[in-house]
Amino acid sequence: MPSAQATSLLDPEFLAKLEQLELVSRKIFLGRLKGERKSKRRGSSVEFADHRNYVVGDDLRRIDWNVYGRLDKLFLKLFLEEEDLHVYTLLDTSQSMEFGDPTKLQYGKQVAAALAFIGLVNHDRVVLEGFSSGLEPGLTNVRARSQMWRVIQHLEGLHSSGAGNLTAACKAFAIKHTGKGIAVVISDFLDKRGYQDALRYLLARNLDLYVIHVLSKEEVEPDLVGDLRLVDAEDDDVAEISISAPLLQRYKANLNAFVGGLKEWCTQRGIAYIFTTTHNPFDKLILNYLRERGLVK
Amino acid sequence: MGFDFSSWQSPITFASPLGAVSWAVLAGVPVGIIALYFLKLRRRPVQVPSTLLWRRSLEDLHVNSLFQRLRRNLLLFLQLLFVGALLVALAGPRVMGTAGRGQRYVLAIDNSASMAATDVAPSRLEEAKREALRIIDQMGGDDLAMVLTFNDHARVEASYTANKQLLRSRITSIQASESTTSLREALTLAAGLANPSTDLAARQGPAGTRSSAESARVFVFTDGGFANIENFSLGNLQPEFVIVGDTLDAASDTPNESEKKPADEKAVKKATATDNVAILALQTARNEEKPDQFQVFGRVRNYRAEAVETEARLFKHDPDKPGDSGTLIDAIALKVSAQSEQAFKFDLPDPGRELLEVRIEVEDALKLDNRGFTTVGTPRKAQVLFVSQGDRYLAGTLKTPSAAQLADVVEISPEEAKTKEYVRQMDSGRYDLVIFDRYRPERPPAANTLYFGVLPPGPQYESTKAVKGPIVLDWDIGHPLMQYVRDLRLVRIMHATVVEPPPGSTNLIESNEGPIGFVAPRMGFADAVIAFGLFHQPEDEGKEIELNTDWPLRFYSFPLFIFNALRVLGNARETGGEEVHLPGEPVVIRADSLQDTVKVIGPGLTRPEELKRSPQGTFIFNNANKAGLYQVRWGEDEGSDFAVNLFDARESDLSMRGKGIKIGNIQVTDVRRKAPARLDWWWPIAWMALALVLFEWYIYNKRVYV
Repeated sequence: MPSAQATSLLDPEFLAKLEQLELVSRKIFLGRLKGERKSKRRGSSVEFADHRNYVVGDDLRRIDWNVYGRLDKLFLKLFLEEEDLHVYTLLDTSQSMEFGDPTKLQYGKQVAAALAFIGLVNHDRVVLEGFSSGLEPGLTNVRARSQMWRVIQHLEGLHSSGAGNLTAACKAFAIKHTGKGIAVVISDFLDKRGYQDALRYLLARNLDLYVIHVLSKEEVEPDLVGDLRLVDAEDDDVAEISISAPLLQRYKANLNAFVGGLKEWCTQRGIAYIFTTTHNPFDKLILNYLRERGLVK
Repeated sequence: MGFDFSSWQSPITFASPLGAVSWAVLAGVPVGIIALYFLKLRRRPVQVPSTLLWRRSLEDLHVNSLFQRLRRNLLLFLQLLFVGALLVALAGPRVMGTAGRGQRYVLAIDNSASMAATDVAPSRLEEAKREALRIIDQMGGDDLAMVLTFNDHARVEASYTANKQLLRSRITSIQASESTTSLREALTLAAGLANPSTDLAARQGPAGTRSSAESARVFVFTDGGFANIENFSLGNLQPEFVIVGDTLDAASDTPNESEKKPADEKAVKKATATDNVAILALQTARNEEKPDQFQVFGRVRNYRAEAVETEARLFKHDPDKPGDSGTLIDAIALKVSAQSEQAFKFDLPDPGRELLEVRIEVEDALKLDNRGFTTVGTPRKAQVLFVSQGDRYLAGTLKTPSAAQLADVVEISPEEAKTKEYVRQMDSGRYDLVIFDRYRPERPPAANTLYFGVLPPGPQYESTKAVKGPIVLDWDIGHPLMQYVRDLRLVRIMHATVVEPPPGSTNLIESNEGPIGFVAPRMGFADAVIAFGLFHQPEDEGKEIELNTDWPLRFYSFPLFIFNALRVLGNARETGGEEVHLPGEPVVIRADSLQDTVKVIGPGLTRPEELKRSPQGTFIFNNANKAGLYQVRWGEDEGSDFAVNLFDARESDLSMRGKGIKIGNIQVTDVRRKAPARLDWWWPIAWMALALVLFEWYIYNKRVYV
């Protein structure tokens, strides 16, 4: 499977689609100034944003002395921060991502590659992190389009393994990365410990959070019959079931509740939530869904 | 009414080809399935990304735990049902049957004349055969069946066999007879087969396991057209009657008529209207007033609920063309009201020897009784040898014109009777009747005899008692010899010799001293004895003989008795149309021939049948199975004829009796219209098992609940 994934990421069709994305995103950015992507945060840059009262402890260098001369009051001059934008991509590489056709991991890799490509084209800093039981060594601070091969190389080197621990991975991520920017979490969120704590770590980092929830088709519409012993791929947990219509009904209701719950949780906290199955073409996802939700312009 | 549980038999029986060991193994199958199911050996492991959602789903479902467990086990239940159905099918369940294996059946099929009725298409007999075949079809592999047919006698068509093919072919080949019905013989036969004799069981000893356990079930397929059977014990035989026909116990079918005629209510209720018009009697006789004319009398009964207007047609058959349809010579319009009889009469000039047939032209359910046959001509004279002591009254009576019409009488003296010639004639069967008047021969002749005033030879007549002045008390007016004899009470008798009649005799005249007239059988002949002579020879020497009785002097009954004796004992016959022969009964033919063989031509005979003379000097014809006209021929151009007719009101009455059948003192209750179905149920159960498997497959694949 890994070799198949490697070839498929490098396959000409995929690369052609990336090229297409480049053209499309070029078109989008044409005629716009650099730094168009404004950060919500104030910071030090040339573009004035606002004034605010001085409080003890503020950097004296930022005091607007002109205003002080006129009004005899201390104001701080605030500027829109000129971001050196980071595009963080957190890709779940736990064992559960190995399912589906194409596998959820493969799909996630494609999405990550596409986002990275767009980021590189926009001269953002691209950070790729894979995680399963914990954060794995990632690819940091890649800039410029010419580095795209590194991205692909890194993505191809990712293999699903181990039991996923979303919380631990996010905690480690929050500690490791201090940069500002946007963070995209690509995962199936099938973690028995829950996703709330994990996403809270990321929220605390004040990142623009995007959640891409990937599920395979067989998870949405299970193609199972008979009396089965279901074995969890990650923790070898066993559930004995006899497939029946009520059970399937119940499963779908649970799935909907799970997806709906995640979506609601994210929306309430300003996290953009995108649900997709592996059957949804990744370029369509990038161009339509992500644009709708403001990840790409 | 209480229910006798001890006699109750389960309507479902099992006949499995498998033995106990196989069953023990098979019984383990469902147990094994349950064990496997609960050991969960059958669950297929499947790796899924996460059991997270499944666990939640299961927890939800576990809320209603017991019910959910049941639902979860639906497949198990289906499998158990499937195995159960297979096991039941293997057990071979059947409806109706008593023993588990080796059931025996006796199928008695009525093929009497009334079974030819077409009130059920194609005929009652076919219907009965079909019902019988149904039982054959339902027979198990180790069942045995026997097929009987019965009309006036019973016949074994197939003895006990399990060969269904043979039984089927035997049943199919049963033909309707034209005989009357007698269930007694069939029941006797069936009882002998169904109740194995205790002797047999005892002989088989303790190891004999084939005794009472193998009692047979007797099915009687009939339309019920037979008399109740008196003095018959069924023993442990329980015949089941399958009644074939269109109408059954239809007493309530004619309520209107019973309202109209309340007086006849009982009669109307008894008779059930059936679609039949029948000739019940036919006879030819010389017209008493015009001796040159013959009369054909008949009686027609209409069994229908409405009046019938029809025609009785008289046909003449050419003796040289047996089997032709005849020439119409006369016809009479008949109007027979509902459920009643009508007589008819044809007059015809003395036709000589003639074969006659009467047909009534009506379409009804039973064709057989629409025709009647009779014969005219060739009066047969009795050949009588009269050994006389010169008794003038007796000799005079035998010479009257009416006696001369009946008999050729040869009178000889006792001395002549001792000559070789007459001894030889008497031994050869030359004579029909030998009358001994006060002469006792040394040995009885080969002929019927009539003794006057003397007892026949033989040891049984040795212990005699001479009586004086016996008084006649009673006489048997039912005996043919005593026909029209009415005034014996006034007859005076002086001397008589009384003897205890030999066994089998019929007393004709009873006196206060004992029987003074009786008929005793002897080797197929009859010895009629009048124990008093007309004259009496007193013991004292030299005395004249004196008249012993005033019977010949003053009473009409004497010539009548002699006339009866000539007719009955001498086998005289006036027209031939007087005798009644029923189909299936043996016919005794007397030929005025010294030849040893005669030939019989008749219906149902493909070629003339040759008969040999019996030791009694008669010819006995046993194949008069069909109604019709039979010709007997001997010599060059000599012969006689006889007619065989089914004149039986019971056979012609097509109404059936269901619950009314009575055998002995027992009212038969086990009466049904259809042979009991004894279906092998394993087929539908096996199909059900297949359906269950398909259903399970469907549920498994479609993941649906019903």
